[in-house]
Amino acid sequence: MEKVLYRDARNYVPIDVIKGIDHLTGQTVMADKEAPKDYEAMPKCKNCNSFKAEGEQMGICEGSMSDPKFFAYPDMVAVTCEMYANK
Amino acid sequence: MAKKLKEVLADAGISMDLQSGGKAPEMMVDREVKRAPHPRVKKLKDIYMDTLSSANDEFTYWYTREYMMHDSEIPVIRRAKALKTAFAHSTPAIYPGELLVMRKASYFRGSFPMPWLSEGFYMAHEDEFYQEALKRGSASVDEHSKFGQGGGNVTKSFGKVVSIAGKFGVRQEEIPAMLKLAKMWYGKSVDDLGNKYEKMVPEYKTKEQIMRSIICMFDSGYTLPQGREVINYYYPLEYGFDGIIKMAEELKAKVAGKADGDGMVGMNRLYNYEAVIIATQGLQKWVNNYAKEARRLDKITKDPKQKEEYKGIAERLEWIEHNPPRTFIEAFQMIETIHLAVLNEDAISGMSPGRMGQVLYPYFEQDIEAGRITEDEVLELLELDRVAKTSIDCFASTGVVGGVLSGNTFNNLCVGGLDKDGQSAVNRLEYLILEAGITMAMPQPTLSVLYDEKLPEDFLMLAMEVIKCGTGYPAFMNSRTAQEFLTKQYGVEGMNLEDVRAWAIGGCLETSPGVWKPLHLNGKEYWIPGGAGQPTSVGVHFISMPKVLELTLFNGVDPRTGEKVYEPHNKKLGTYEEVWEQFKLYWQKTCEVLALTNNIQHDIWRKNNMAVINSYLKPDCLDKGHLINELGYRYNGTFSVESAGTITLVNSLAALKKLVYDDKEVSLKTMKEAIKDNFGFKDAREVNSFSLADQEIREDAADKWEKLHFKALQAPKYGNDEKYVDDILLAWENFFCEDATKYESLYGFKMYPCQISVSTHGPMGSATLATPDGRLSGTTFADASMSAFPGTDRNGPYALLNSAATWDQAKSQNSQLNIKIHPTATRGIEGSKKLLDLTRAYMRKGGFHIQYNIVDSKVLQDAQKNPRNYRDLMVRVAGFTQYWVEIGKAVQDELIARTEYEGV
Ligand code: SF4
Repeated sequence: MEKVLYRDARNYVPIDVIKGIDHLTGQTVMADKEAPKDYEAMPKCKNCNSFKAEGEQMGICEGSMSDPKFFAYPDMVAVTCEMYANK
Repeated sequence: MAKKLKEVLADAGISMDLQSGGKAPEMMVDREVKRAPHPRVKKLKDIYMDTLSSANDEFTYWYTREYMMHDSEIPVIRRAKALKTAFAHSTPAIYPGELLVMRKASYFRGSFPMPWLSEGFYMAHEDEFYQEALKRGSASVDEHSKFGQGGGNVTKSFGKVVSIAGKFGVRQEEIPAMLKLAKMWYGKSVDDLGNKYEKMVPEYKTKEQIMRSIICMFDSGYTLPQGREVINYYYPLEYGFDGIIKMAEELKAKVAGKADGDGMVGMNRLYNYEAVIIATQGLQKWVNNYAKEARRLDKITKDPKQKEEYKGIAERLEWIEHNPPRTFIEAFQMIETIHLAVLNEDAISGMSPGRMGQVLYPYFEQDIEAGRITEDEVLELLELDRVAKTSIDCFASTGVVGGVLSGNTFNNLCVGGLDKDGQSAVNRLEYLILEAGITMAMPQPTLSVLYDEKLPEDFLMLAMEVIKCGTGYPAFMNSRTAQEFLTKQYGVEGMNLEDVRAWAIGGCLETSPGVWKPLHLNGKEYWIPGGAGQPTSVGVHFISMPKVLELTLFNGVDPRTGEKVYEPHNKKLGTYEEVWEQFKLYWQKTCEVLALTNNIQHDIWRKNNMAVINSYLKPDCLDKGHLINELGYRYNGTFSVESAGTITLVNSLAALKKLVYDDKEVSLKTMKEAIKDNFGFKDAREVNSFSLADQEIREDAADKWEKLHFKALQAPKYGNDEKYVDDILLAWENFFCEDATKYESLYGFKMYPCQISVSTHGPMGSATLATPDGRLSGTTFADASMSAFPGTDRNGPYALLNSAATWDQAKSQNSQLNIKIHPTATRGIEGSKKLLDLTRAYMRKGGFHIQYNIVDSKVLQDAQKNPRNYRDLMVRVAGFTQYWVEIGKAVQDELIARTEYEGV
């Protein structure tokens, strides 16, 4: 499995912009630190099938119903997006 | 080294000692009462104490995405759909140890921008949108407002975190989307559209000048368009979400296609009910997402106790997603959910839970009786609520969140008052609410006692104990005075005696109308109070009275900027009466222009950005089928004119009257020169202290103004029971309370006076030159509306109360008096009794509000020098409690300088 940062890990809940809690250990961890090897990735737009990158922190959501398609940004958490599908 | 004012005065044999009624002990004295919260609460509090205020784009993104898809839809439906999508996509954030869950955004202390209201303020300063905001005057106040440098404020960008508006931390990865979303609202936001149309007011240019000179602190319609009101939890508690949807479906069928005699908006009821259904479905999905997350956490958690708790959370959420709550903890979770839902619907400060102890009492009574919960467990939940409420942030500009709110969001919880039948409404749960205020000392919810002579003595004594924790709460608000005001203001809307008694405080200290509704639980009926009025502290915001006087003296020109604000009056101002009359004319011009422009902003808000969720919670929206924008609320005459700097104005008028006109010690021309030259002192910002005593004399000034400055400082001052100056206060109040009613809100009701200053005395002082009372340029005004200027109340607290009670306070929505007392003065039971006597004396004189900072000034001085040692220190600012380290320096200086009473 690929390594993930805590802030990209499924079992990380952010406290604020720099740190959060690792639900698996109950510990406070830094957002930008690497999580242990086997940690599952958080569904985010950047991991979604419908995400088409355009530039570094911007992209298009191919799943959007608007015309033209609405933008999306890679870092957005997608656990609530019903259209999310793993890449 | 340049000499400070206190040294100059000491040389002249005048003490600037800020103690009154004795001498404080040399040693620093701690607060008398301290207790600890439950261990789980302590852990969550520790997290909060180390948490940065954080914002993200999630809600903004989904709201915008949905909204932009429906440009041909009816506005209320479009808004409801956007809200539904945004709520349905909010990522749940649950933290170990919580029992009551749900957050504004997916951070512990999270928030998000609402560019549909305003977008210019969080652009880079070089961005054209920000420059535009500066030109309009809406960003001027940002330059005079500062956040405290400590606590959770992200005052500077660092690493991968960008600081927005000097407070909110945003991840770098979110910034491009945040700006893109903001730009999508350009020309569409309430701010932009409002500005387009307010420009059609003939005197719009004067309004721009008023804002740029910081005569008025900020616009009303797009900054915090709702709040300073009391929420109503009744419908979700009585019917549940499914019940509300069912009710709306039935009513929709009843009104479809019918005007029922109302050719203007009768037909709108159909769309409004549909909007209620859509928005409620969004809330259900939001709750459901949290329930699913709790189930997921239960699965991955090993600790059996924590697993059980996640299971319990999931079960409660799954139940309240559809049904009315059955138990105390379900009801508590329901109102937490509703509270956050409303706060996410709009930029809001001051959404008060109101008389929450009376709303939750039915569940408390039955659970205790059945042995389903213990008082200790209830106390723990009340403590948890304090962590949740303190974590509520509101994303707005520096001027609004820093300059006005000091980072607080004023979720005011009221206890006491009278019940529907006129008896004391205090119940056992309210004792526990006060107790939680001691064990879990955090700024929110701030507490207010709705004082009535019928309240039990032991309850009032407990309130005194809480005050002695030094938390700055509970405040005391006078039920009798408030009820007189309510009868006068809302009589035209049919308010009866029962409804008058349902009032509570919205925000810091805004008297807000309420109603009683019958709640049914296991076959028993309880009448519970809740809000039934529109937002207050909307309309004409914070007019700086000392600044209007400055413009009066300088013929309509702002001497700080050199810009013409008002038409020149070209009068000689040869008599005191002429000054007073001209002051009133400029005051009225200010109110007139601001009432018109702000009405337009609010009108844009009601057309495109109306409340759906907050609306349908409030009687009688569901019954009538009309939301806030169509006068669905039972009480709609809630707009006001807000004053700021009352006592600085009163002292200044007294000094002018005495020195220039009565005793003729100095000519007006010389007084004006002295004001312009700041009595020979440096500007406060140069000195970097905002309290008078610390100001430094300029070397080039020598003793040019020394004599005059002494006289100005020694002229009669408010707060000493002195008729000369109290008569000036009386004249002002009589004028203001009457004049405010001449302006009409967009809803067709007359406005009323509102006399809170929040933190505006800091930034407004910063933009005002020296004043005739001897206050120096850039220093703060006296805080609140009835507090004395620091160090000028020399005759003890009872003299101060007499001065404050000079006028009929029932003519105003509120007034505000804060007193600082050394902890030794209130020690023990005797001390508590004396404090209660003092409070009662003021209430009996008709005073509306009184509150105390029980703190040793030396502690505050030390906290300013060593903020790291005082992360937990709380103080009462104007109408609210806040962490010392999160308050801007100007207000900190003013708090240190306030007169400290050594005896009561
Ligand atoms: S479908 Fe959802 S998760 Fe996928 S890119 Fe679009 S918004 Fe993101």
